[in-house]
Amino acid sequence: MAKVAEKMVTRTVDLRSDTVTKPTETMRVAMANAEVDDDVLGRDPSCFRLEEEMAKITGKEAALFVPSGTMGNLISVLVHCDIRGSEVILGDNSHIHIYENGGIATLGGVHPRTVRNNEDGTMDIDLIEAAIRDPKGELVYPTTRLICLENSHGNTGGRCLSVEYTERVGEVAKQHGLKLHIDGARIFNASVALGVPVDRLVRAADSVSVCLSKGIGAPVGSVIVGSNSFITKARRLRKTLGGGMRQVGILCAAALVALHENVEKLESDHKNARFLADGLNEIKGLRVDTSSVETNIIYIEIEENSGTTAAKLSKDLEEYGILIMPMGTSRLRVVFHHQISDSDVRYTLSCFERAVAGEPNENGN
Amino acid sequence: MLGSICACTELLAIVKSTSNIVGASDMAPPSLLETATVVEKMVTRNVDLRSDTVTKPTEAMRAAMASAEVDDDVLGYDPTALLLETEMAKMMGKEAALFVPSGTMGNLICVLVHCDIRGSEVILGDNCHINIYENGGISTIGGVHPRQVKNNDDGTIDIDLIEAAIRDPRGELMFPSTRLICLENSHANSGGRCLSVEYTDRVGEVAKKHGLKLHIDGARIFNASAALGVPVDRLVEAADSVSVCLSKGIGAPVGSVIVGSKNFITKAKRLRKTLGGGMRQIGILCAAALVALKENVGKLESDHKKTRLLADGLNEIKGLRVNPCSIETNIIFIDIVDGSRTTTEKIFKYLEERGILLMQEKASRLRVVLHHQISASDVQYTLSCFQQAVQIENGN
Repeated sequence: MAKVAEKMVTRTVDLRSDTVTKPTETMRVAMANAEVDDDVLGRDPSCFRLEEEMAKITGKEAALFVPSGTMGNLISVLVHCDIRGSEVILGDNSHIHIYENGGIATLGGVHPRTVRNNEDGTMDIDLIEAAIRDPKGELVYPTTRLICLENSHGNTGGRCLSVEYTERVGEVAKQHGLKLHIDGARIFNASVALGVPVDRLVRAADSVSVCLSKGIGAPVGSVIVGSNSFITKARRLRKTLGGGMRQVGILCAAALVALHENVEKLESDHKNARFLADGLNEIKGLRVDTSSVETNIIYIEIEENSGTTAAKLSKDLEEYGILIMPMGTSRLRVVFHHQISDSDVRYTLSCFERAVAGEPNENGN
Repeated sequence: MLGSICACTELLAIVKSTSNIVGASDMAPPSLLETATVVEKMVTRNVDLRSDTVTKPTEAMRAAMASAEVDDDVLGYDPTALLLETEMAKMMGKEAALFVPSGTMGNLICVLVHCDIRGSEVILGDNCHINIYENGGISTIGGVHPRQVKNNDDGTIDIDLIEAAIRDPRGELMFPSTRLICLENSHANSGGRCLSVEYTDRVGEVAKKHGLKLHIDGARIFNASAALGVPVDRLVEAADSVSVCLSKGIGAPVGSVIVGSKNFITKAKRLRKTLGGGMRQIGILCAAALVALKENVGKLESDHKKTRLLADGLNEIKGLRVNPCSIETNIIFIDIVDGSRTTTEKIFKYLEERGILLMQEKASRLRVVLHHQISASDVQYTLSCFQQAVQIENGN
């Protein structure tokens, strides 16, 4: 009995985030053999190669490797808003606004102007325009310099902003002399889901922050892309923030493998997400808005009559080895990545079914 | 890498000078291939003395990185990062530790956590790394006001000048509030000079007396500890926090570690995230750092020996001057004597053509930093190239 139970719980299906991906064998080999040099005193060759490749993929002039998406966004906002008294327009439910410790303000002195995020991740264009400060009021207003979008949009469930929407926002920005930054932590997911090449998708943006440590599966890092002059300033600010690392090619070598191997696996992460979403929606007591499952993220609502809560369900699932993220009292989040197999997905669904039905698991709990 | 670039561009010039030296006009000229091989051997030798940050990962480090046990250090904790942090806390005699991408971030976090209330001031040396080489981040990013006090040639700041710089709280209507004193050990800009444990403790007492914190920029604290023969935990006992570089003389590819109380490190971790230093499967880099700690701390004394040897040799060269009293660890500042016909640019270029890299500090000063990947024969080679460089300019 104990042996069966042990077998049950040592299976781990980590659905907390796509950041949990561990380096693959090819990545480990690449890291061990990476050609490196001091990237502060000069250029690390593996880092240089990664940055060149990312610039090309995104259709921008230059790129810069940074330790995290948070630093990627922080640098981008602060470089675009390098004059004191700046304001940035962004979604009230965006990652920069909710999960980055308010750094653009507390460290960068930039004032955030939030605009309501719709359920599909967009902000209404007319609300964006209404939020742009009239320069005639400058005696009492900060100066709007930047608009930020997020694609795919995390908090609405990995929703994709279309290339048409992105370009319309780009036009508004241009019309008012503003810059456009895209938090593209999961831009590859959006690109795959929409069937639009990444460079086309971000063409209207002056800068993009792209995570390599999420669905693409690299162990560490993000890359910011933009014009040569933008990246030059970004490099300097990166040093100021303390992100200037030395023989960083080790991490970049893994990221290059990730780019070559894992972008094409995203579509199957999306398939898995849709499969699970449909299955979960069938479970009495749970509700998933399946039309909102566009990429690799699922938000699960726990209905009042279900007899369970987010905290309880999360704990029950943990006993099956399934890790998810409770978000509030009656909401859960599940995120897919390439290290979740088809059989993991089926196992997860059956565990959800059992846990919600209140079935004791075979440990006798 | 620079060496091989030099080989391509300087090949022709050096072939010419080489054939002159061997008197090739008296016999059949050496074949181009022979000459090229000799020349290539000359210029692809790479002696990188720009900094101890240039150290490349060793085989043992690469193996450790490849097999490191990792996990998401933001959502939970990475086991290898935890191992490194536990070890560093123990070594430094502090409660807890935190891995950060760079020494700059280490110092920035420490200053900002100690000075987390708006309107704070920090006392630090006018010639310290934080003040000179960190983009003024504590102010531009952190809003902390720096009160600079003169650094002496030995890296210390006069205790009475420190005390005089502490703001009187009765003047608070117009003064910022002093919250922190920063020291740097070893002190880079004065040539890698060591602050003694007695001096450090005295500054610690001043800090305590006035209710201030003490932070040590210990980028090269292991060098100071080896040079002074004082265990590193004793050396930093008076400090509330220390920032220690692993990517310098210790030779890890990336990173620093901050140490301090549990409470301090908890706040530091949050600020690290805010700055964007929250990395995921970071155990890869920490595995290399653990190897570095095991293997390379013991090598620092021999870096210091080689440094002294090179410094003495350089001081013998007419036209160059090194202050022998200032050679305590692994850094040498070389001054051009007034009236000498050579210049830093000329020496710099001459050495670069021969694969030796160093730093030009200003018009009449060069800097050399040794590390464990500089061999004794590299030191000899460097010395002889310096001799030639100066002789040529002085028309010998």
